[in-house]
Amino acid sequence: MSQVQARFFTENKKYLIDDVPFSIPAASEVADLSGVINKLLEAKNDGHKHVEFDFLVRGQFLRTSLASHMEKENISTEEVVEIEYVEKFTAPQPEECIMHDDWISSVEADSEWILTGSYDKTARIWSMEGKAVMTVAGHTDVVKDVAWMKRGENLQTGSLVVNDWNSERNKVEARHCCRGHAGSVDTVAVDPTRTKFCSGSWDKMLKIWSAVPTVEEDEIEEPNRPRKKQKTEQMGLTRTPLMTFSGHNEAVSSVLWVDAEELCSASWDHTIRLWDAETGEQKSTLTGSKVFNSISYSPLCRRLASGSTDRHVRLWDPRSKDGSLVLLSLTSHNGWVTAVRWSPSHEHQLVSGSLDNVVKLWDTRSCKAPLYDLAAHEDKVLCVDWTENGKAIFVIILTCLDLKLNYHYPYV
Amino acid sequence: MRPTHSGTMSKLKNKKRNLEENEDEQLPIFDKDGGKDGHLDDGDEDQGDLSDSEESVFSGLEESGSDSDDEEEEEEDGSEEKSSDVEEDKAADGDGDDQLSAKEVIEPQTDGQHSKEKKKKKKAAGKEGGEESVASDRDSGLQISSQVDEYEHDTSDEEDIRNTVGNIPMEWYKDYPHIGYDLEGKKIFKPIRNKDELDEFLDKMENPDYWRTVQDKMTGADIRLSDEQVDLVHRLQQGKFGDVNFNEYEPAIDFFSNEVMIHPVTNRPQDKRSFIPSLIEKEKVGKLVHAIKMGWIKPHRPKETTPQYYDLWAKEDPNSILGRHKMHIPAPKMKLPGHEESYNPPPEYLMSEEERLAWEQQDPEYRKLSFLPQKLACLRAVPAYSRFIHERFERCLDLYLCPRQRKMRVNVNPEDLIPKLPKPKDLQPFPTTQSLVYRGHSSLVRSISISPSGQWLVSGSDDCTVRFWEVSTARCLKTVEVGGAVKGVAWNPNLSICLVAVSYDDTVVLLNPGLGDRLVCTATDQLISSYEEPEEVKDQPVQWAVAEGEGHEQGHRLILKHPKAVRQVTWHGKGDYLACVIPDNGSSLQVVIHQVSKRRTQNPFRKNKGLVQCVSFHPIRPYFFVATQRYVRVYNLIKQELTKKLMANCKWISSMAIHPGGDNVICGSYDCRLAWFDLDLSTKPYKVLRQHKKALRSVAYHRHYPLFVSGSDDGNVIVCHGMVYNDLLQNPLIVPVKVLKGHTITHDLGVLDVTFHPTQPWVFSSGADGTVRLFT
Repeated sequence: MSQVQARFFTENKKYLIDDVPFSIPAASEVADLSGVINKLLEAKNDGHKHVEFDFLVRGQFLRTSLASHMEKENISTEEVVEIEYVEKFTAPQPEECIMHDDWISSVEADSEWILTGSYDKTARIWSMEGKAVMTVAGHTDVVKDVAWMKRGENLQTGSLVVNDWNSERNKVEARHCCRGHAGSVDTVAVDPTRTKFCSGSWDKMLKIWSAVPTVEEDEIEEPNRPRKKQKTEQMGLTRTPLMTFSGHNEAVSSVLWVDAEELCSASWDHTIRLWDAETGEQKSTLTGSKVFNSISYSPLCRRLASGSTDRHVRLWDPRSKDGSLVLLSLTSHNGWVTAVRWSPSHEHQLVSGSLDNVVKLWDTRSCKAPLYDLAAHEDKVLCVDWTENGKAIFVIILTCLDLKLNYHYPYV
Repeated sequence: MRPTHSGTMSKLKNKKRNLEENEDEQLPIFDKDGGKDGHLDDGDEDQGDLSDSEESVFSGLEESGSDSDDEEEEEEDGSEEKSSDVEEDKAADGDGDDQLSAKEVIEPQTDGQHSKEKKKKKKAAGKEGGEESVASDRDSGLQISSQVDEYEHDTSDEEDIRNTVGNIPMEWYKDYPHIGYDLEGKKIFKPIRNKDELDEFLDKMENPDYWRTVQDKMTGADIRLSDEQVDLVHRLQQGKFGDVNFNEYEPAIDFFSNEVMIHPVTNRPQDKRSFIPSLIEKEKVGKLVHAIKMGWIKPHRPKETTPQYYDLWAKEDPNSILGRHKMHIPAPKMKLPGHEESYNPPPEYLMSEEERLAWEQQDPEYRKLSFLPQKLACLRAVPAYSRFIHERFERCLDLYLCPRQRKMRVNVNPEDLIPKLPKPKDLQPFPTTQSLVYRGHSSLVRSISISPSGQWLVSGSDDCTVRFWEVSTARCLKTVEVGGAVKGVAWNPNLSICLVAVSYDDTVVLLNPGLGDRLVCTATDQLISSYEEPEEVKDQPVQWAVAEGEGHEQGHRLILKHPKAVRQVTWHGKGDYLACVIPDNGSSLQVVIHQVSKRRTQNPFRKNKGLVQCVSFHPIRPYFFVATQRYVRVYNLIKQELTKKLMANCKWISSMAIHPGGDNVICGSYDCRLAWFDLDLSTKPYKVLRQHKKALRSVAYHRHYPLFVSGSDDGNVIVCHGMVYNDLLQNPLIVPVKVLKGHTITHDLGVLDVTFHPTQPWVFSSGADGTVRLFT
């Protein structure tokens, strides 16, 4: 068998070719197929520039030769093979490096600003260009997680101080100190309506707090207060939780909002639990075998990705009632997977960071191997994030421990 | 006659009793015979004695009123004659002993006649009275020879003709003056008895024959028994024959033997019945015939001609050869002589010169032939066989050394010999890979301890620092400097107290790391500062001091100065007591227990045997484990006594861990062994594992998972599955599951301390390379 009947198609109107079956050599690989398509396109329209393509055979990326792929996937070579071609994702390149004084525990990117929490007890705001805009020093302890509340307005940090940051005035102000947890707060998440946020802590509790700023705090405006304690003493704005969810047997490591009513939390007790944010009821439990470090939910594909203290990134269906269904397990890391994040704009892509110093970009359509390894770090990866605008440039922000770096990976 | 007898006898007895009470000459048979009468008599007499005298007069008659007398009389009817006969015989024999004895022996048949005759005489004389009858009896002895028709008067149913009332109870006549009627029909009057008690008594006293006087019931007359009669009574009472001359042991003559004699005693012809067929037999045969006809009896059952044998080999597998045949090894046979042994071998068997040289050069053991073939002219020229002795010796050796038994090769699958242990894969979870390395120490990390929540780890190193790490990221959160190489760290197991005990040199410092809930930290600080000095200060072996200044800012809270270097610190499960080991051989102060809340120190042992290596509190019960070089001693702290002494079976214990259930202990030793003790089972190790190549430095149990771990100088951490069952019958299951490598060996030291995460199946190990590693 040396020739295979194939028919190429694409969603992208720009690269449409005639819908006719071709006879192509079975041993041809991605580069060969890409050359074929480029030649066809050149023949069709003169102003075509060379574009690298990637090929999907029945929803799976072609990584080996066409023949071996078809053999592995049990595709008959007698019929005409439908091959979809998409523009190849170019490898992300390190673009920007932001130096940090200490370990970065968390990062959340906005379209404009990057918010980082650090082990030096501060949170910082950076511009997309890598300039330090603001340092929020208010915490008495390590900042474990940060989240934007409202774009450009509020930020919230892991030791449960809600700060108000005004980009125009370049001032930061501690709004609230949310007290109630008995252990260190490891994770925070703001709900889609931006009126509430949820925190998960080492004391095994999930607490929901109100994010609506109270009115009377505008009286004193002192930017850059050195100590949070002073602030809270002066302002006296101590928040108590709206609701407390207890059910986990171990520390809560990650929490997120599936939608405005549903909350999802991952814990060291090897479970992912789904909660009803209104009633506080536990909806379902997904049980794994290892400690969960991080979870991420993609509204595009309605899947949950989890990173745990083994080498796997696992995909879950939170809607499934039986609870423990692992749809897919992505295995390539060599250490704990500390962070996973779905792409906000692409339903198949997610990024994962691990203690083996590597960040991997995955496509769920090729689950055997990641799309790209981003191995530019020299120490453990603790968190990853995408920028919110999924249009032109995706930025994966990584943190690294020793080098105190932030890499931006531009991605066309 | 007999009733009279019994009456007389009872009287007699009574009299005798009266007379000879002291002499013990009682006659038991007599008592038995006339027991009832005697008793009645006694009773009557006693009664009589007590009541009126009238009754006593008739006492002889009255006694026969009882039923037993009736029977007696009825029974005696037949025997009356006999007994009287005997009596008379007696009387007769008394006189004519000599004449009679010979006669009786020779003619036993005539004896009957004799007695009958006598009887007749006696009966004739009966009327005249007792005395006369006796007298006539005496005469009768002389009349024996006179021929009388012996059957003339012999009527067995002859009655006592003196009184015709017959055989009736005589008390019927007790109210009448007469006692019966004679042959003429005249009343026989009772003899006049006007004796009253006194007369009776006087009679008793005065009449020498009173004891032998009996009353005849039939006539009511008193009869005085003669000497012969008394003698007869005595003889009968003693169970002897009435006849004095009767020899009961005479030699028996077998007159009617089975032997056919020429002159038989009787020559009676054979009975007719012996000639005619027996009816009974005919009947029996008839029954058998009937049974055969009816088929109840099978006359000719076919006999089983084939003999029954037990088949010894019936169950033998026909295919198998018998064992002894299979095992038989014939003795080795000698090789038969061939042509080369011949005195005149064919020339091809003779060796050429080269062959001979080669043969000589060869080692005798490897020679193909043990001799050189020789060609001789004739048989006569054959010399004596020089190798004879040698050859015989070899033959003997062959026979002696030949195998006698075929050795059965036991085909054992070597895998079957390995005990069936579950596969490690089935025993998950357990740590398998190294996940995190906690770097920062510049010298060997001697001790690590994890916070009870599992969020932080503390490590003490020889670089004089204590570091606090975040477990999940390996981030060093805090570094506290202390004044010496840290030998031991221990995090307080109480969740509501945030304290870490650190030992260096001779000091133990309690640190407040300030991690975790701020409330807990401040509460701990308050707890320490709220201490009030007791009024009377006791003399303590340890100085307690509160840290101040720079030390306080670093987290130091309490400083305990010991007299010597402290090697190990360990907390009690409740978090108030802290035990320290001050190894010092011979000193009485090797273990101290501090109570932090009261700042008190006690020395629990007056004397320590051996060098204390490590100590531990029992997780549940008030026990205290002290490991010296070879033994682990278990003390009951409440009873203050030694409960158990575990023989570790090794040279030098280095470390010890108590199972969270409290019934199992593991000990690591410097001679590469790990001993598991089941305290319920024995004081000897339940199992000893020799997996490490070098000295074990540390062992630990997991709090929830059935895991234990040992760290060794060879740089390996070995994780074992150690399942302890609640069922007391089931021994712990110990399976080594994983060897974890990672530490580099520095200065010949590998892993120095191991500890488990409190909730996850993760193990931390600290090594001489200055790192702490987390295996998950």
